[in-house]
Amino acid sequence: MKNNALAVLFASDEDSHLNDLTIHRTTASLPYAGRYRLIDFVLSNLVHANITKIGIITRNNYNSLMDHIRQGRDWDLNRKNSGISVYPPFVFNAAHEVYKGKIEALYMLRGFMLKSSEDYVVVSNTNIAFNIDFDEVAKFHVERGADITMLTYSTEDVTPRKLVVTADKNKRIKDLRFPVSTDTGKQLCNLNIYYIKKDLLISLIDNAYAHGAYDFEKDIVRAGLEDLYVMSYEVDNYVAVIDRIPTYFKRSMDLLDPEVREDLFYGHSTILTKVKDSVPTKYKEGANVHNSIIADGCEVGGTVENSILFRSVKVGKGAVIRNSIVMENGIIMENAQLDYVITDKSCIIQSGRRLAGYESYPMVVVKNKII
Amino acid sequence: MKKSVKKECIAMLLAGGQGTRLGVLTKDVAKPAVPFAAKYRIIDFPLSNCINSGIDTVGVLTQYQPFELNQYIGNGQPWDLDRLSGGIFVLPPFMRAKSGEWYKGTANAIYQNIEFIDDYNPDYVLILSGDHIYKMDYAEMLAAHKKNKADCTIAVRDVPIEEASRFGIMNLKKNGEIYEFEEKPAQPKSNKASMGIYVFTWSVLRRYLVEDEENKESDNDFGKNIIPKMIADGQRMFAYQFNGYWKDVGTISSLWEANMDVLKGGSSAEDLDLDDESWKIYARNIAEPPQFISPTGRVQNCLISEGTVVHGTVKDSIVSHSATIGKNAYVEGSIIMPGAVVEENADVRYSIVGWDAIVGKGCMVGETLSDCKPGEWKISVIAPGYELPENSVVGANEMIG
Repeated sequence: MKNNALAVLFASDEDSHLNDLTIHRTTASLPYAGRYRLIDFVLSNLVHANITKIGIITRNNYNSLMDHIRQGRDWDLNRKNSGISVYPPFVFNAAHEVYKGKIEALYMLRGFMLKSSEDYVVVSNTNIAFNIDFDEVAKFHVERGADITMLTYSTEDVTPRKLVVTADKNKRIKDLRFPVSTDTGKQLCNLNIYYIKKDLLISLIDNAYAHGAYDFEKDIVRAGLEDLYVMSYEVDNYVAVIDRIPTYFKRSMDLLDPEVREDLFYGHSTILTKVKDSVPTKYKEGANVHNSIIADGCEVGGTVENSILFRSVKVGKGAVIRNSIVMENGIIMENAQLDYVITDKSCIIQSGRRLAGYESYPMVVVKNKII
Repeated sequence: MKKSVKKECIAMLLAGGQGTRLGVLTKDVAKPAVPFAAKYRIIDFPLSNCINSGIDTVGVLTQYQPFELNQYIGNGQPWDLDRLSGGIFVLPPFMRAKSGEWYKGTANAIYQNIEFIDDYNPDYVLILSGDHIYKMDYAEMLAAHKKNKADCTIAVRDVPIEEASRFGIMNLKKNGEIYEFEEKPAQPKSNKASMGIYVFTWSVLRRYLVEDEENKESDNDFGKNIIPKMIADGQRMFAYQFNGYWKDVGTISSLWEANMDVLKGGSSAEDLDLDDESWKIYARNIAEPPQFISPTGRVQNCLISEGTVVHGTVKDSIVSHSATIGKNAYVEGSIIMPGAVVEENADVRYSIVGWDAIVGKGCMVGETLSDCKPGEWKISVIAPGYELPENSVVGANEMIG
């Protein structure tokens, strides 16, 4: 069945601080879970709900994203009448600045939204790994008579830029604010995914843009809490919001838990990604692998524990990888040792090298480095 | 109506055989659709060879249990064969205005599709089998065919002379021209065995197919009828020497051996190296997360693919995608096909566990084999989808289901 919504995704999240991991890429194309990029999750959820008209707004470093998405074929998004489009940033003013916030970004896509026949819009960040049913969100939105449905989740990871949500018993959002020091334990936070009627979104954007506002949450959502029905749709499945390197590390290690994998990969939607035709993984005689996630195309001759190996990683004889993440095409040579290390794509750790970080501060080796 | 764009060479892949010697594995699927090497199907090899050789128009002749194969092939996208001009076509037998029949033999299958081939107006037609595991550049073979101004070129490989009487043997002149073809000769004169891969000049083959069809005595088979007739008529028939890895996986034992050859790997010519960037083997992707080796898992000398979870011990084996190996289970020298489950405490040795089969808790399947002669491995087989009850015992060489 055709879905009555289109989607607008933000490839970059200005509030993320992924430093070394996003020098060469958008947050959307950050590798995650051995064979995916973060954007795969939202795309797969949308496709599963038959939301197949998708615009992606980029800000910078979008080459890796374009290379990942191509024509959208791997998500079955190479369609005649819908499909996926990646929008490079427009230059807005004489100062040659790209868009300042979500409002300006959405204003850029005014034309794309207006000429679509769909009546609703999903507006979403792309740094979220989750598996939900967008049909349920649409149903909730209509049943509750919402103007804006904001997806929320309960988390202990309350970083300073997160928005804490206060909702009444009818799920109507009463307050939206930055965390304060008294916020301890789990808090209901904004997941940065919205479901909204297209006409309303465009009029809100037009009005905010005309007033020079650019912060979607502050200038539209919070400013509208009294006049609009902004409803909280709480996602109680597993949710990973990746915005810091320690969070990336922690949310990656969550995947070693079978329940998390069950929820994330075998829930509502099949999670799709770019197909690379890797060969199966080969474990050699000296392999000693425990509690690890291993993608295809690897060759493992050493020890791997509590770790994640992406596609086509080579682990030499006697090498020891513990509590680490090795991204695609990494080569960990004989007798090298890694502990709490994240190596970005195509890194080579030469024989006998020892690298170690700490759980709360994993060491990051940037892309293509040879150590 | 407008004709298709002319193609210099198109491939016709014979995928209709039942493959009875694979027993329960081909009860419900055609042999080319049988899983291979953890994430492939047998047909991925000739299809990948085609696209890697620059052949973008492939007709797949199906007849026996075609459903699974049709679904697997789909629009050909995994092999980059979804084309505006050309591409992949599944060609089952069909009814005509005045007749219509099953494919009687390999040659008849091509005969019945003369119109399909004519539509591309090819100069050459490549005939392939859907049950061989090998990597081969058909473009080279075609170049040899053209250089020899041949009417037919047959790929051959060297077999040990003492085994030559099991094969179709080509007797060659010094320049590689075939002067005689002997099917399973008692006293072989050469060790050049036909691989069942042919390049024909289409205008010549077309004539022979029509003639052969008129001959009511004929079995309508390439090996038995067309090739001998062409040699007898003095057509230009040449052998094309192939020196790489090649295996007919028509029996349980050879299917098992070929899988183990992939596990062995290696990059020399006689080895089957799948991890070859210059000659990728493509397969339809299964959207599964990466494999997981649990805290109790132990993996030594094995190939494992996506979606698989290993809690037990796996040694010298191939564990295909989406499979589960339970706690304290032991798997040795075996092929676990896609989606199969080996439950806790089960012991599986030198066996093939069919796709989606379940080996119940505590089962003992197969036994450790010392070296056997090629083709004589005593491999136990559990049928696809079969649920082996807890604590069952299955002996070596037994086929269950």
